[in-house]
Amino acid sequence: MWINMGPQHPMTHGLWNLRVKIDGEVILDCDPEMGYLHRGIEKISEDRHYNEVVTLMDRTCYVAGFAWEHLYILASEDALHIVPPERAEYIRVMCEEFQRIGSHLMWYAAFVQDLGLMTPFLYGMRDRDIVLDLFQSYSGARMTYEYMRVGGVRNDMPPGFSAHARRALDWLSDRFVEYDRLCLGSEIFRKRCDGLGVLKASDCVATGVTGPMLRSAGMRRDVRRDRPYSVYPQLDFEVAVADGADVTGRYLVRMEEMRQSIRIIRQILDWLDHHPGPVLADRLPRWLGAPYAPVGKEDYVLKRNYPKGVGLSSIEEPHGEAQAYVVNEGSEHPYRVKFRSPVFANISAARHYLIGYRVADIPPIMGSVDVCVGEVDR
Amino acid sequence: MSSATLYSVSYFLVNYVLTHIGSVLPAPLNAWITNGDLVTGLAVLVFGAILLGASMINTIVLIWWERKLLGRFMDRRGAMHVGYAGLLQNFADGFKLFRKNTFRPREADWLGFFSGPTAYLVTSFVIFGILPISSGWNSGVLPLSLLLALAIFSFAPLFIFVSAWSSNNKYSLMGGMRSAAQMIAYEVPLLLAVVAVVIVSGSFDLTTIVYEQQNYWFWGPLFLALVVFVAGMLAEMERIPFDLPEAEAELVEGWNTEYGGMLFAFFMLADYLRALVGSILVVLLFLGGWTMPTWVPSAATSFPLAGIFWFMVKTYLVFGLFVWIRASLPRVRTDQLLRVGWNRMIPLSLCAVFLAAALVLAKCVWPFGCLPSMGV
Repeated sequence: MWINMGPQHPMTHGLWNLRVKIDGEVILDCDPEMGYLHRGIEKISEDRHYNEVVTLMDRTCYVAGFAWEHLYILASEDALHIVPPERAEYIRVMCEEFQRIGSHLMWYAAFVQDLGLMTPFLYGMRDRDIVLDLFQSYSGARMTYEYMRVGGVRNDMPPGFSAHARRALDWLSDRFVEYDRLCLGSEIFRKRCDGLGVLKASDCVATGVTGPMLRSAGMRRDVRRDRPYSVYPQLDFEVAVADGADVTGRYLVRMEEMRQSIRIIRQILDWLDHHPGPVLADRLPRWLGAPYAPVGKEDYVLKRNYPKGVGLSSIEEPHGEAQAYVVNEGSEHPYRVKFRSPVFANISAARHYLIGYRVADIPPIMGSVDVCVGEVDR
Repeated sequence: MSSATLYSVSYFLVNYVLTHIGSVLPAPLNAWITNGDLVTGLAVLVFGAILLGASMINTIVLIWWERKLLGRFMDRRGAMHVGYAGLLQNFADGFKLFRKNTFRPREADWLGFFSGPTAYLVTSFVIFGILPISSGWNSGVLPLSLLLALAIFSFAPLFIFVSAWSSNNKYSLMGGMRSAAQMIAYEVPLLLAVVAVVIVSGSFDLTTIVYEQQNYWFWGPLFLALVVFVAGMLAEMERIPFDLPEAEAELVEGWNTEYGGMLFAFFMLADYLRALVGSILVVLLFLGGWTMPTWVPSAATSFPLAGIFWFMVKTYLVFGLFVWIRASLPRVRTDQLLRVGWNRMIPLSLCAVFLAAALVLAKCVWPFGCLPSMGV
């Protein structure tokens, strides 16, 4: 019997359709269908100024907006030959790491709810709110920030931010103990999740699966360490790995990643405290989006004289390895923008980690993939 | 306490009203209206109406209790805005559902779709006619009231399956299948745990069982049976961790996916009625029913309605335990649930039965004391 789990189904956490062939409770075959949330973001980007595309990036993955902003900005700067000030880079990496915590907390909330745990769901959402409050304090928005700019970031941290952030980090690192007790300490949780949705490292590589799913299979691959971008080489952190290749492994990896993110953010806050400075590049082409450049700092480079270029960037997004490709043909709009969504690959491999398990296992397995349909369909 | 039953109270009320109406009427009408059969019939109706009202109000308060408790467990406050501390929230919700259009999917079977939830609600409600609330406060003396209550309680899988099947929805069907399998699997250990109580108390009558617990409550000597009974009850009530028939993550809403409006409210009400019955049965069988803890001063024990008060307190505390379990445990999987049911719960409940038999043979359940029926 084929059943459609989606496009409107509590399991999907978005808008996609998982067609499942079942015999009783056992999954015989499955067929993920995406495309219900296609908004043509890549095409729209060709018609926008470079800085206006940032708005779309927040909507690409609505729970990891900063990561996508960062990804796009890195590629654009590469294409436009612009170097941001160092402080801006530190702030961006801090945004990305905070976003990783926020995204993983959102994942945690959704994932435990798939297992029927309502209490940790609300705990996860409560603690994610603290991260969102911090975002709001400097970007003015909780989910759609529009904060990063080609050549830097929009504004510096407000006064007292460092102390607030440190307090939030202390609170969060205490909460992770609680989460582990609620989940790993529960016999039923272990019974449900151990050995579930196994995807071995070789299969991950064959299907292009990246991120926590790959690291849960014991493969120590993280773009932040393997192909370091921005200021990651200056930061001290470890790549979280687990060896189960199952749902529990993905849980462990994400929990450890949040701890590592806290570690990274603490280092960045220390750096930011002692290195004041500009957060936007000194001289930016005016056509890049004049309203955003500091008054008097606009550069009157003519469009036709501006050097062409191709930008490529790759970052470790909360869901996996994301890539962006931006072509600068000398116009004020990017000529072509293309993204690689890690979740698209992770969902597409569903056949490899769903078949043979039971219907009741679909929500935890798909939950452990951490589906964000916005970036799948773009 | 007096031997006044709820039925005799309603009989008295009906008789009183009819006599006064009859006194102002001419002779033939007077004779007809004070006719014994009419009074009896009306008394039964009044009895049913009181029972319905009381159980419905209790159920709705029970939902409020669950929402508030869950809220506290989850670091929030639960319903707050309608009525004091949100007490009227569920009445508002019920009214909203009542106003909603009742519809049926075009391909659904008419008879099964409407009769399933109705029969589920009615059978869940009928059990309240059997359960004694306090000494004398029952519908009548039934020597096999425990058996009857459990028999009606176990009707549910049939009606759930009928409504699931007639919904003509794959999710409903899977939920119905799971529900039937689960309820039947957990019926066995549940009944065996009850057998342990029956062996010790020597009666199928709930009133007698409570009377046997005057000296000490059964939860101590029959702790194993209590554990099995509570776990079985959780499965019968389809609450987390055993709520997989309506596991919203994979089955949308399980067997009531296609139901909306008042029919959904029927399911909801019946679920909580069954939860109330489950909690009441735990109190009656293991926690001494309306008998009071020994530290209650004797002056307070003779207070009118003291028995009912303690009965309700215990019931709500037991339900609070169910809510606590719901707040802290994830959902199990069907195969795990059935394996635990057949492979673990049944041997455990058999152990409980043998333990109860040993207690009776020993004539005494030291260190807890002796049963009234065991003599000294």
